[in-house]
Formats: sequence, structure tokens, C-alpha cells
Amino acid sequence: MTSMQTPTHTLKWPNPHLDMAAFEAEGELMLLHLGPQHPSTHGVFRIDLYLDGEVIVKAVPFAGYLHRGVEKLMERLTYVQQTPIVDKHDYVAPMTSEQALNVAFEKLLGVEVPRRARWLRSLFAELQRIASHLLALGTLSIDLGGALGGGSTLFIHCFRERELIMDLFEEVTGARFHYNTHTIGGNRHDVTPEWAAHVRSAMKTILARLPEYDSMSIDNSIFIERTRGVGVLDGRLALELGVTGPNLRACGVDHDLRRDAPFHAYDEVPVNVIVEQGGDSLARVLVRVREVRESIRLVEVLLEGLPEGPICSYRPIKLVGQVKIASGQAYAAIETPRGELGTFVIAGGGEGNASPYRLKFRPPSLHSLSALPYLLPGATLSDAVTILGSLDPIMGEVDR
Amino acid sequence: MRHLIDASRALFTTMRQVLRTPVTVQFPTEIRKRPERYRTSFALLHDEHGEELCIGCLQCERICPSTVITVTQGPKAESKVTGKKRGWASDFVLDTTACISCELCVQVCPTDALIMTQVADIPAYSREELVLTMDKLYAHEKDKPASWGTGTRLMGMQEAPKEEKKPKPAKPVAAAAPAAAEAAPAAALAAAEPTSAPVVVAPVAAAEPASAPVVAAALAAPPVAETSAVAPAAPAPATKEESK
Repeated sequence: MTSMQTPTHTLKWPNPHLDMAAFEAEGELMLLHLGPQHPSTHGVFRIDLYLDGEVIVKAVPFAGYLHRGVEKLMERLTYVQQTPIVDKHDYVAPMTSEQALNVAFEKLLGVEVPRRARWLRSLFAELQRIASHLLALGTLSIDLGGALGGGSTLFIHCFRERELIMDLFEEVTGARFHYNTHTIGGNRHDVTPEWAAHVRSAMKTILARLPEYDSMSIDNSIFIERTRGVGVLDGRLALELGVTGPNLRACGVDHDLRRDAPFHAYDEVPVNVIVEQGGDSLARVLVRVREVRESIRLVEVLLEGLPEGPICSYRPIKLVGQVKIASGQAYAAIETPRGELGTFVIAGGGEGNASPYRLKFRPPSLHSLSALPYLLPGATLSDAVTILGSLDPIMGEVDR
Repeated sequence: MRHLIDASRALFTTMRQVLRTPVTVQFPTEIRKRPERYRTSFALLHDEHGEELCIGCLQCERICPSTVITVTQGPKAESKVTGKKRGWASDFVLDTTACISCELCVQVCPTDALIMTQVADIPAYSREELVLTMDKLYAHEKDKPASWGTGTRLMGMQEAPKEEKKPKPAKPVAAAAPAAAEAAPAAALAAAEPTSAPVVVAPVAAAEPASAPVVAAALAAPPVAETSAVAPAAPAPATKEESK
């Protein structure tokens, strides 16, 4: 098994799969479809696993079971109608999906976002990051099999704390999940001082309960043995595949858009970027767990310095075709809980230039999944679930 | 032995939950307190004189991203209260089976006639029961508590305070035009007047991935990534077999 680790690469990465011919000659390979409706695939996703006994020889991922044709739909909808649709992309972190879209439109229009709206966006993004990372930890622990170390207990506990954050968003936006709270030029909903108090108490609760999670996950020897050295991703390979976010930072690459290309209010609020060496599943979990603590710190800072003022600088949505852009193109990227979510928009489509000519999303989960053919060969079948869970993919944004 | 200690530590954490108050709400019998902005279903409103507020302007039908609203315009008739001629909606159908609860229809309503309610519809046995007809929407005005959001409130929250002073909030469409003229450059003006010729906006930013230089920098210094990725890989399988 040790010989089957990710091979050392030069600039050109060779075919990740092991040599199939040797196995096929003996006729002992088994083809196993993991998914599309396996609970550990976090959505509908299929991997064709070629197994030699318990060891994976070749892995071929198939995405597309959740394809809704959203990018084509965006060419029909006008600019003001699109925000509620992108909520459905990354359905674990809808706030950041909305933000990526609206930041791109603002760049295209040249609209300056008011300072309070930028701080609110950062605040929402950090709260969403906590919720998303908690869910990632919980689902990974249930993928590991509901043993004493973590398992379904941790899963339920993570959902309980995530519920606190969903309650906070519900109080501001009125919706638990598909918020539609961002608009071109700012936000649609303002926050109240009472809400700030609720955030502080929720953060206090989560911070107090994090040691409990540690005892069931990253401090637990059973959990560590299931994840350490499983699915080791080389840093240079990760960069070549376009892997971003916690998965990249777990490979020892110090890269975070919040610090490197600041958006929202991150130019005023410095972020401590969490980097772990190792690149294995344990490092990916460690990055997320440490990022939850960093996000809680950022939420405190953002709440403390939340400026007063208007929350929207552009005209609020009143007419369906009120935003018309004749030409131009823009790319905007923000750091979501899963990595760099980019939106590339070319203006000048639809009736009277009210829709984009083309809208392209660059989802971080798709690029994380592209590492699977490199990670799975050599691992055992039980590790396949661990690797997939530790990459934290969301199929909604992979297939769109 | 280490496994046993860690397992009992995790078990202890689990056992400690017994002492905490349960967080589960038994939904059909208990109902969680919902925040005032909570939005699920819809209602159409009457004004204080008992007259229908909806003027059949079709704004909600046009803005709806999932096209679930169908409004049939009735003939213009005199209002019983003011005596002025105004529009009426002869039919209003909202299909909640495909509604995504984005609240845009509420925001664009010029007369605050359409609002969302805090209590959801009862689960139904057929899809037809989930289609809100005009009668159901007017019935919801009485039997379901209203959500905070109305068109005027949502617009007022987003507009800067200084712009609210000029015209009355009853005419938000007119109020929006000067606001946009101040806030945004020529592009906003073009959008404010749909009749004018489209103004060509200069490309604000070419397609330049924000992270490109950073990735290049990280590529230039690979030794950290290389050593870290290989080091922990080797001992792991060995320990695993020992533990079994």
C-alpha cells in the first residue's frame, strides 16, 4: 500500500491511475459504483471504483447528477432576479454564493458598496463559515462510521450549533436558508443592536462547546488513526488542479483570498490565515476546526467595529429590468468556506441588455473533487469515504 | 489502552448532554417562536376602508424569478373610497409549489398589497391545494400573522436616510431615480430611464483572476508543500495494522 501513494511528480502530472493491465490480466478487478445515492457522497455523485480486493486501483468520478442548467438560466433572468437563484448553488453556505455574484455585478457597474454593507457582508461570511465548517466536521464524523470517537453524536452536536447560526440569519433576513439578502450595491436587510447581542451569546455558546468536539474528533486517537495519512494531497498538485480553500491550506500552501486579494471589509480587518502541513484528511479537518475559532474571533471584531450608515448605495430593486449593462466583463472572486468562488460575467444579453450574455461560476468544490483520481488509488474502500468527506464537496455548486 | 481512554472521554462528553436542557421542539404540538421577519406564505391585503390594495400592476409577476405569479388585470374602475379611477386585479394566482420565497414580489409591490406571512401553509394531499388563489390569499390576511416585510419597509431600509426626506415613501419608484443619479454613474441613469438609448459602459475590469499572482508565488516556493505531503504518509498504514 505504501508504494501506491501519490507518485512524485515533475511539472507534467502523469496519469493518476495505477496500471490496470496487470490486474485485468488476472481478472481480479471489481467495479464498484460508489454513489450516486450513497449517503457519504454528500449529494448525488458517483465514483466508479476499480477494486483489487479492498484496495482502490482506479477511481473515475462522475459529476452531473444535479445539473440544473443554472448558467443558461442566468442568460434569461435579469440581473436583479439572479441572487435568489445562486442561493441554491452552495446550499451549505448560501450567503457567500450571493456575495460572489453581487460583487461581480458591482465590479461591472462600478458601484461602490457602503462601508456598513461591506462590514455586514464580512460578518455574514464569517458566520456562514462557522456554520459550514461545523457541518463539514459533523458529516465527516458520520462518514467515519458512527464509532465512539465522534460518529453520529458529533454529527448531531454540530447540527445543533449550526442551528444557532441559522437562527441568527433568520432573524435578519426572514429566511432560514435561501436568504436573498444581498443586492447590487449592498444588502437588503439591516441588523439591529439586539441581533448583535444574540450573535455574541451564540458565539459564546459555540466557543464553549468546541472543546467537546475536539474530544470526539481531533484529540481522539480513534479519529486520528482513521484520518492521518489518508488521502495525502501534494501542495503543488493541489495548485495545479486549482484546489483552493481549506483543502489547499492543509497542504501547506499559504493562500487565502481574504488576505491576498481583500474583498468586503477584509482590507480593514486582518485575517490570520490557518495553514497546516501534511495534506492528509486530518490536516484538512484541523484547518477547518482552527478556522472556526478564527472566524469566531473575526465575528467579535466585526461586530465591535460595525459602522453606522446606509446599507445600499445602488437603487433598490423595484423593476425587473432596472439594471442594464450594454457591454463589459468582470471577474470577481471571494473566499467561501470551500475556497475561491469566482463569478465571470459578460454583459450585453437578454432583452435590452438587462441580462448577462454569459455568466460562469468557478465553484471551489469542483476543483476539490478533481483531486479524487489522485487521492483514491492506493487507499482502501473504507478510506474512500473519509477522503471524500474530508474534501467537503457540495454537489449543488459542482453541477450547477 | 489509549483508544479506551479516548473512547471513554468521548462517551463522557456524550453522557454530559443528559444534564442539558433539550433543544428539540416537538413541532406540531409546540411551535418555536419565530422572528418578526420570518417569511413563508403569502397574503393579499385590504386597506382600512376594506378596499383591495392590489392595483394589478403586474410588477410582482414580472419580477418573480420562478414565474409562479399570474395576475389577470381587470378593467379600470372607480374606487369606492376616493372616487378616482384605479386598476384592479380580477384574478391573482400564486403557485407555492415552485415559490423560492425570495421576497422580491413583496419588495416591488407599489401599494404594499402583497405581503408574506409568518405561518406556512398546512401540508396538502394534492398539488392543487398548494396553489394560492385570490380567495385563499385574501383569507390569509385574516388567519395568518403577517411578516414584518412590506414593500415600503424594505425599500426604506435600503435607501439612505437623506434620500428618504425628499419625496414621500408612497411613491418609491419616483424616489429611486434621484437616488440612483447621485449614487451611481452613467450606467444607473441609463437603467433609470428605460426609454433612453442604452449607454455603453466601458469595461470596468477585464477578466483577471484575483488569485493568479498569489498562486504563482506559491508555486515558486514548493519545498514546504513537498516535504509536508510526503512525510506523514509512510507511518500511517503501519500503525493501522498494529492497532487491529
